[in-house]
Amino acid sequence: MQTWTEKIIMFIWCGFSYVFLLSPMIVVMGASLHGGEFSAAIKFPPDEPSFQWYSKIPAEQFEALGLSLIVAAVATFIAALIAIPAALGLVRSNFKLKFAVSSVFRAPLQIPAIVSGIAFLQLYYLIFDTSGLMLAGTIPGMLLGHVFIATPFLFGTIVAVLQRFDHRLEEASYSLGAGRWRTLYRVTLPTIMPGIYSGGLYAFMVSFADVPMSIFLTAPGFVTYPVELFYAMENDFDPSILASSSLVIVFCLAMLLIVQKVVGLETLLRSGGGSAR
Amino acid sequence: MENRWIAYLIPPFIITLLLVAGSQYVFIQNSFYQDLGLGRTGTDLTLTNYIKFFSDSFYLKTFWITIKVSAIAALLTLFLGFPIAYVVARMKSKLAMFLLAGIVVSTFVTIVIKVFGLIIIFSADGLINKTLLNLGLIERAYSIIGTQEGVVIGLMHFTIGFSVLLLYSVVVTVPPSLEYAAQIHGASRFRVYQRVIIPLCAPGFVVGGLMIFNMCMGAFTSAALLGGGRILTLPVLVQRTVMMEVKYSTAASIAFILLVSVILINLFSLIAIRRLRSARLVVA
Repeated sequence: MQTWTEKIIMFIWCGFSYVFLLSPMIVVMGASLHGGEFSAAIKFPPDEPSFQWYSKIPAEQFEALGLSLIVAAVATFIAALIAIPAALGLVRSNFKLKFAVSSVFRAPLQIPAIVSGIAFLQLYYLIFDTSGLMLAGTIPGMLLGHVFIATPFLFGTIVAVLQRFDHRLEEASYSLGAGRWRTLYRVTLPTIMPGIYSGGLYAFMVSFADVPMSIFLTAPGFVTYPVELFYAMENDFDPSILASSSLVIVFCLAMLLIVQKVVGLETLLRSGGGSAR
Repeated sequence: MENRWIAYLIPPFIITLLLVAGSQYVFIQNSFYQDLGLGRTGTDLTLTNYIKFFSDSFYLKTFWITIKVSAIAALLTLFLGFPIAYVVARMKSKLAMFLLAGIVVSTFVTIVIKVFGLIIIFSADGLINKTLLNLGLIERAYSIIGTQEGVVIGLMHFTIGFSVLLLYSVVVTVPPSLEYAAQIHGASRFRVYQRVIIPLCAPGFVVGGLMIFNMCMGAFTSAALLGGGRILTLPVLVQRTVMMEVKYSTAASIAFILLVSVILINLFSLIAIRRLRSARLVVA
């Protein structure tokens, strides 16, 4: 039903958007094959392609990547432990202040991450002043902040799935003789699993990519990967940073493929993108 | 039954409330102490930091630049995001999922890496500068770092993936049958856009646009890296005030002003959603 002129306009318009959207990542991957010396200007496309910088990625970058992966994974897990009962409890119960309670769970999304960052830093200073316990620059301190920003993603997606949940499934389970816990484990949780997976993926990725929150909670020798990149870019960087960045892009692609296999992209889109924010 | 579900809700609610209220309360209270520099603060609650913010032209200019670059970035992001969302939503082939996958991946990759790519693209002997120089459109290499355009492009990269997903969810609510109906009744494709697609998507555009604007207002990383210390936005100013000047109370007051602005925009978009929904009910 579309005319040719419209198709051509849309094609060019879309093509331009896609080039805009994807070119930085493609350029980073291309330029990581930088063949020259450290001093040679980084170029795209590279002059003499080689993988030499991949073997020269310094240990600190791998340590930072490792820390980022651990923090993101554990923070997502804790966030799921908070978000699953919260979403179940909120959707199933009936009381007056439901909207207010839901807003509290979603609040971290509305607060700019940089504000949360400075807020947690000052909270940790206050805790230090009163109890002598320093949380800034430690794993628990970093985790607490990341759980804070990760929870709303899981909460949002699980609530969205639960609202479409068919209650008759649970009633059927009860009438067939299953108890409360059995129903929860065998019926309710499996049905909301796609929501948990896609919300968890978003939570993981947001935590894994975060700079504004983490930048306040790092310490020398205790830096997450995006913050390490951030500082590298503010100073001088060598092509090994491009090599490790390319590895991260490939990792993100791999995560998407896994999710595509496990829950399907449709579920991810339906429960992820819009509703979470 | 009722009580059982509320019991599920209570522990996570207390944890989250403690985290939200605890962190926010501490910094908001801090923002009301006078800043003595080097991390020291006065003991009396005052409005000094806020009075300083609203009477110092440097802070006001930063505030204005934040609003300006965020608004431009939000509009341009909508402009670039809409065609992708529309085409993918109307596509019937497998290619649609493939195209969406590209967008999802780009939302996953940290903005720092994307800024990296942007800097290479816009570097002195990068693709853009070479082409423009060869065509004779510019006389000397253009640098993206430290310019408002650079910050706008960075903010667009921060929000475009999310905005495509958001607009996609708006476009799929407009059934293609409405377009066919309009065309059967003799409307040209242009008229279909003008009278069917755009009006039906408009509420989503307004709300989505406000959300994107809000994301831009709070965006730190791309603004910091591409602003290069010359173009400052509020989030960048917050971080610099803490890290470089070690003025916690001043930073807290800037952060609070940013927070209030963002919440006000949110409230405004909530009201906008209500208005637009009720307006649509009348039309339908």
